[in-house]
Amino acid sequence: MSAFGRIQNLDRRIIFLTVAAAVILPLFFPFRLPVAVTAPVQQLYDVIEGLPAGSVVLISMDYDPSGAPELDPATLSIMRHCFSRDLRVFVMGLWATGVPLGMRALETVAVGEYHKQYGVHFVNFGYIPGGAIALVNLGADVHDVCREDVYGTPASEIPMMEDIKSAADFGLVISMSMGVPGSDQWIYYYHARYRGNLATAQTAIGAPKYYPYLQTGQLVGLIGGMKGAAEYERLVGNYGLATVGMDSQSSAHVLIILFVVLGNVIFWMEKRRKK
Amino acid sequence: MRLKIPLAIIFVMGIFSIVTHFIPAKPIADLNQTLRNWYIGIISFFIFLGTVNLARSNSEKIKTKARDWQYSIILIISLFVMLVAGFYKGHTSMEEGKPFMYLYFNVQYPLESTMYSLLAFFITSAAFRAFRARNKEAVLLLVAAVVVMLGRVPIGAAMWHGFPDVTEWIMSFPNAAAKRGIRLGIDLGLISMALRMILGIERSYMQ
Amino acid sequence: MLMTEGIWVWIAGVLTLAIYSFLYKDNPLYKIAEYIFVGLSAGYWAVYLFWNFAYPNLFEPLVIEGNYWNIIPIVLGFMMFTQLSRRSAWLVRFPLTFVLGVSLGLQLIAAVEGDLVPQIIGTFSPFSKGTLFHTYDTWTSIGYIALLVGVLSTLVYFFFSREHKGVFGGIARTGVFYLMIAFGASFGYTVMARISLLFGRVYFVFHDWLGIIR
Repeated sequence: MSAFGRIQNLDRRIIFLTVAAAVILPLFFPFRLPVAVTAPVQQLYDVIEGLPAGSVVLISMDYDPSGAPELDPATLSIMRHCFSRDLRVFVMGLWATGVPLGMRALETVAVGEYHKQYGVHFVNFGYIPGGAIALVNLGADVHDVCREDVYGTPASEIPMMEDIKSAADFGLVISMSMGVPGSDQWIYYYHARYRGNLATAQTAIGAPKYYPYLQTGQLVGLIGGMKGAAEYERLVGNYGLATVGMDSQSSAHVLIILFVVLGNVIFWMEKRRKK
Repeated sequence: MRLKIPLAIIFVMGIFSIVTHFIPAKPIADLNQTLRNWYIGIISFFIFLGTVNLARSNSEKIKTKARDWQYSIILIISLFVMLVAGFYKGHTSMEEGKPFMYLYFNVQYPLESTMYSLLAFFITSAAFRAFRARNKEAVLLLVAAVVVMLGRVPIGAAMWHGFPDVTEWIMSFPNAAAKRGIRLGIDLGLISMALRMILGIERSYMQ
Repeated sequence: MLMTEGIWVWIAGVLTLAIYSFLYKDNPLYKIAEYIFVGLSAGYWAVYLFWNFAYPNLFEPLVIEGNYWNIIPIVLGFMMFTQLSRRSAWLVRFPLTFVLGVSLGLQLIAAVEGDLVPQIIGTFSPFSKGTLFHTYDTWTSIGYIALLVGVLSTLVYFFFSREHKGVFGGIARTGVFYLMIAFGASFGYTVMARISLLFGRVYFVFHDWLGIIR
């Protein structure tokens, strides 16, 4: 086997080790490059800035732990932004697996940092099954879908719910989404019927698909992956996990590009040799 | 009876939900709301059914001592433990600080997120072995991938300040164009499939 | 840190390593972790579905408020279980056609109202606001032209009822180029997502579990 062939057939565990190193080393030797804010993230920030105090922002936790490293930092930053502007937050989720993540985020931000009161400034309705169909009903009559909050308290006994009857009472809806049901359902079934401001935070895999909806105004903002979350952290001035992660993200991307280049160099060399 | 009534149900429900969309009268809207609530009720049983099926197929594996049957015991125990943790104190079983939440945050959470993070290693290995500039199309794909990978991380902007803007342009126009084209095609497919099923032409789901 | 103290953080840490052991090679430890995950997840969904939906929205209104209409979805729901037996499996057609009917009707409307119409309008709308290059900056204007060309050529590419030859073939080929750029962009984003996930776990190991970094 030629030298090129040997590199080509490199034990994949060596590749795995280099990936691990590219992600781990920057944690110990951070280089903290500045994060540039992109237009779709800035747009969402501006919409929240423009909401009058007391407006209700619906945050839908449409993800699970495998989306958490990307979407948790975005959730936290958006909540921080909302509470710092005296907006009220209504949390629900189309994925049951997102409910505890919503509870934890509210515990950290609403209770821990902003000392907000449950039922007055924020509320959590947990898992709403039925995906698209549930959203059609939610927009028409919130109380019909959200009968009891995540702690089993009837909606009628929650003060904040007096002001929330239908889609018109939400100043902004943000779907924190990583698949189906998620942003697709919010766009096609909810926004198409009830309009209003709709934005999404996506895991990076999902993000490219939503650019067409930004252009049509069906989405008023898009946070894509951990990078998008890092941008939002910068905008609210609270640097967290996403910002820390950008160093590892940078070095790993460079490593993967190097692998792609190396793979192609070998490919061309082999091709020439065979000729 | 076994065929005609189900076909009548799908036809009536499908046509009803389309036609009544254009009739805003309150009684009809209320009826629709109720029908949709029934829908949610019924599909929630799908998940319960899935749980029962999982338990059944794994008990079967244990009984027949099929390959890897020992692991099925672990699965059944985990399922049972989670159900007990979720029901033993009624609704309050799911509050923070209860076993259910501990299991979620310290077992389910790390297992799921770690499992998916394995793909970081495999995607790198695949990129090294399979991502080749064999023809014009592949070159375009490769260049777009590299530009986006650099444009979306701070180090890219440090190398050349234009990377983020170029990336944003690619995402907003060529990428959006292709994604829109694909989606419009899917929409047309969805519409024709929905019509075929409502009208009873497509029946393969009844097997 | 919330809920990751003491013994529990060690359980999470060991399970994380059990999954990573797969990178060396498939082994029983990984398999055990995998099966625990499947079992727990199934239990988790069932618990949430019951307490967050079935109980407050189906059973409570029926038993406490006397809303007897709720018997219908409950009966139809239980009919789903008939497929567990071969003889009664056909009964599942009743709930199945009900949910399909409701959702297909809505899906049809959603595809038109939520996607087709706004997306088609969006493709042409930049050209309706006066001269393109006077309304937008140069790169945005070029972008909108590229968008229009891209949407049309991608659609042509997916039109298989006619052979991709001549002018038609040329347009379809342009569509392929757009698709390649989009797939490249998606690949870049997929890499980004996977690395973020790995970072999340690495951070857990070194920060939450071992406490080596702050």
